[in-house]
Amino acid sequence: MFLQQLVNGLTIGGIYALIAVGYTMVYGVIQLINFAHGEIYMLGAFFAVTFILGMGMPFYLAFLLAMACGAICGMLLDVIAYRPLRQSPRLACLITAIGMSIFLQNLAMLIWGSRPRPFPSDTLPAWFDKTWHFSQFSLTGFHLFIFAATIIMMLGLNLTIKKTRFGKAMRAVAQNKTMAALAGINVNKVITLTFAVAGSMGAAAGLMVGAFYNSLYPTMGYLAGVKAFAAAVLGGIGSVPGAMLGGIVLGVAEAMGAGYLSSLYRDGISYGVMIIVIVFIPAGFFGVVIKETKKSI
Amino acid sequence: MSNATKLKIGLLILALVIPALPFVSHYLLHVIILIYLYMILALGLNIIPGFNGLLDLGYVGFYGIGAYTSGLLTFHFGLSYWLIIPLAFLNGALWGVLLGAPTLRLTGDYFAIVTFGFSELVVLFLTNEIWLTRGPLGLPGIAPPSVDLSWFGGPVWEFQGELPYYYLAIVMVLATVFVMHRIQNSRLGRAWFAIRDDEVAAVSCGINLLVYKVIAFGISAAFGAMGGSFFARWVTFLSPDMFKFWESFLVLCMVVLGGMGNIWGVMVGAAVLVSLSEVLRDVLSALGMPVEIRFLAFGLIMVLMMRYRPAGLMPIPAVAAQMRVGKVKRKKVKRTATAG
Amino acid sequence: MKALGKGLVLGLALVFCLGTAAMAADTIRIGVASPFTGDLAAYGDNIKAGVNLKLKEINGAGGVNGKKIELVWGDDLCQPKEAGTVASKFANDKSIVAVIGHLCSSATLAGMPIYVRAKMPVISPTSTNPTIGDVGKGWFFRNCYTDAFQGKYLASHVVKELLGLKKVAIFYENNDYAIGLKDSFIGGAEASGLQVTGAEAYVAKTTDFTPQLTKLLKDKPETIFLCGYHPEGALIAGQARKLGFNGPLFGADGLDNIDYIKIGGEAANNTFMTVPFLAAAAGPDAQKFAEAFKAETGREVDWMSANAYDCLAIVAEVIAKVGEDRQKIRDGLAAYNSADNGFEGVTGLTYFNEKGDCSKPAFVKKVEGGEFVPAE
Repeated sequence: MFLQQLVNGLTIGGIYALIAVGYTMVYGVIQLINFAHGEIYMLGAFFAVTFILGMGMPFYLAFLLAMACGAICGMLLDVIAYRPLRQSPRLACLITAIGMSIFLQNLAMLIWGSRPRPFPSDTLPAWFDKTWHFSQFSLTGFHLFIFAATIIMMLGLNLTIKKTRFGKAMRAVAQNKTMAALAGINVNKVITLTFAVAGSMGAAAGLMVGAFYNSLYPTMGYLAGVKAFAAAVLGGIGSVPGAMLGGIVLGVAEAMGAGYLSSLYRDGISYGVMIIVIVFIPAGFFGVVIKETKKSI
Repeated sequence: MSNATKLKIGLLILALVIPALPFVSHYLLHVIILIYLYMILALGLNIIPGFNGLLDLGYVGFYGIGAYTSGLLTFHFGLSYWLIIPLAFLNGALWGVLLGAPTLRLTGDYFAIVTFGFSELVVLFLTNEIWLTRGPLGLPGIAPPSVDLSWFGGPVWEFQGELPYYYLAIVMVLATVFVMHRIQNSRLGRAWFAIRDDEVAAVSCGINLLVYKVIAFGISAAFGAMGGSFFARWVTFLSPDMFKFWESFLVLCMVVLGGMGNIWGVMVGAAVLVSLSEVLRDVLSALGMPVEIRFLAFGLIMVLMMRYRPAGLMPIPAVAAQMRVGKVKRKKVKRTATAG
Repeated sequence: MKALGKGLVLGLALVFCLGTAAMAADTIRIGVASPFTGDLAAYGDNIKAGVNLKLKEINGAGGVNGKKIELVWGDDLCQPKEAGTVASKFANDKSIVAVIGHLCSSATLAGMPIYVRAKMPVISPTSTNPTIGDVGKGWFFRNCYTDAFQGKYLASHVVKELLGLKKVAIFYENNDYAIGLKDSFIGGAEASGLQVTGAEAYVAKTTDFTPQLTKLLKDKPETIFLCGYHPEGALIAGQARKLGFNGPLFGADGLDNIDYIKIGGEAANNTFMTVPFLAAAAGPDAQKFAEAFKAETGREVDWMSANAYDCLAIVAEVIAKVGEDRQKIRDGLAAYNSADNGFEGVTGLTYFNEKGDCSKPAFVKKVEGGEFVPAE
């Protein structure tokens, strides 16, 4: 059973990692917990289903297009809701984020109805269903796809941050906005693009979860978002490698906890981890504690 | 007597006579009692962002603790409601202190997240510990409060219908307002405002940050629990899914909408949002649309409020100034850029 | 400040206007409470279809005592708090004389104390939790069986006799319906000599069951009891098959919905379930009803619609006899208290005991080739 739980854990952990990097990147550049990130994850899944069912697109195309839509949604979120509040106190931004989250959830309910709907699994590539049975566990093609997609996106993100100009600009803005502006970086553009990257990965995660577990519903972003946020905190909020590691650790811990201890407190594992990390080791694995010098409101 | 005071007295008289008016239905009384309940909750929450400048996202946790304290004590021991009120109050305060002590030294964002996690854990606990709370089976048939005068030969009179609850709710609201008002003008309140305005200055005046913050959190939690105790014996049925994060957000909206820190403002906020919720419920079902999306309006209202009136509809000057600070700075930067 | 005060009064005035609601027209008003929006809206649709069909028949024939029946809809979202609000609304509307509902046991449990205090007779087509009768204090009736019966039936008849298997794993939802059902199943399993290899609980809206399934499958059960509602049941079926489980699955009335097949796909095949009503197995009245239902709605009839149809029929018959008084209607319903004094409807013979419970037979159906077919 242990190996199978490990497979389960790595699968969901990879998903958490994808969402968590979105949280952590945004927090890095504007010190805002983007509560609405979970909703972009949800929209990614719904857009993909709309593309596949409504326009008859093949899976891979729908996947890429959903990611693009996720990026656009992320950018819209920033431009419409967060950019006007760039200079406002933190409390206002937090409330706006929660408000947007609730707004988007209900908008999705209005458009797609609140009943859970299945993913059109006959449109998935055939090799997803192929199963390999080992003595201790089973693996399907879909598992492999998720692993591969997650790893590719993580590597891609790491490369972007370390090697490209945009990545450098992002790191600069995260360190010190004023100095970055003085160095000639268009801070607002960098922030919006960060939202785009975060959104695209979140949408990809949502699409994969919706397809793999075969269930889409407008409030699916809420729980996943909270858990991914816990993962980001675990890894050290603001650190992208931390978020990746945090996501995987949390996913495996959840699977092991649900399998060996109590399945009812499965969600509680994330909350517990989050609280313990924040209270006792706020820096998480790799993060740096941000000392707040101005008033907290 | 100032105009404001005259208005308040007028409203109080209106509130007292509403049940006697001819066109008032039971359903309407039910809604108004709901408004009073949320007023108590909003007043309790108001202490944290309004007086202390922190964000509490887990208020529903204390609400739930108070409700289940009240419900379980009634269900298992048949305890009188008049005893339960102080017990729920104290239990809420206890948990407020327990949660606050290790976490209140955190900065704003982290504190908000921890409170959120706490309230979710409370719901999980209420759901899973069936031996204690009956979990998702719920606690049905909680007895309504009763006034027991039998110890000196009088009658035992049980609450029936909405009317007794209505007046009890008014009394509780008035008591809460009174306490809040006195705290606001006391040394405790002044210390809180000092902390909110500038922590460093407050510390240099000799204020122990953690102690005052924990006291604030404890009092806020206590009022939340008191509201919960009323709720339990009013709806006579409890189940864990009544205490989800959404309720915290709703109460936060009331505080924000009304004007953080302003006692009367948050009461207005409570009245407006509860009425809006019920009006939307009717309008939406008449239009054939799903009733749940009335929450869409709330999300939108919050976003718009933060954009245009972040201090609320009736802000107190200190909070308004604080919320404006950022905006003033931006204008200054723009001017120098064009000038240079 | 003054302006705001005026605004406040205006706002309250608005609420007043809404509070005064509809004036009682010259109709007989009956409340119908179910989740009409939300996750379980599919069930609410079933109830709506059933009562609407009967309503059409009754009003088409001139109504009851010369008056048409008017249905008042209350959307409880299958949540206790909303159920309380709906119950309060119905109870305090003096023109409503009876309530058909609620659908979910938890909603009915939440509403009953309010109905009892307001002396409103309530008949539920679908609430199966056994404790409702105690809370109902004589004002509650139902024309479906209780989970106390269903659980035992699943153990003794379905698993032991029909499937001929012994080792069962249970996967139940953490709510009143499933917990009650699971407990009565375990009791029946003990009596029938079955072995329960494990029981795992889940919360509603879970989508990833793989860790718990892995844990259950470790003990090699021969069949899995999907003790919950169809959204999760379908997902569990799919994920169990992915993990290599090929035995039959079974469940109860909570699985009975076309969405179970739609969501579960291939994995839904070889699932058995007990249901209160099966058109294929019922009498000629039921067949006629099934045809009329299909003609009206374009889909196959389900047990919730059938029970709801009968509920309205029973209430209408009682009102025809005793008039529009809540107490009299309650007494009229309670008068159906034995096999000789029962109501003959499309779901068979209905009569109530002193707790308002009725005993109805259960039928078994299964999913085969992507369709529901009778299992015996």
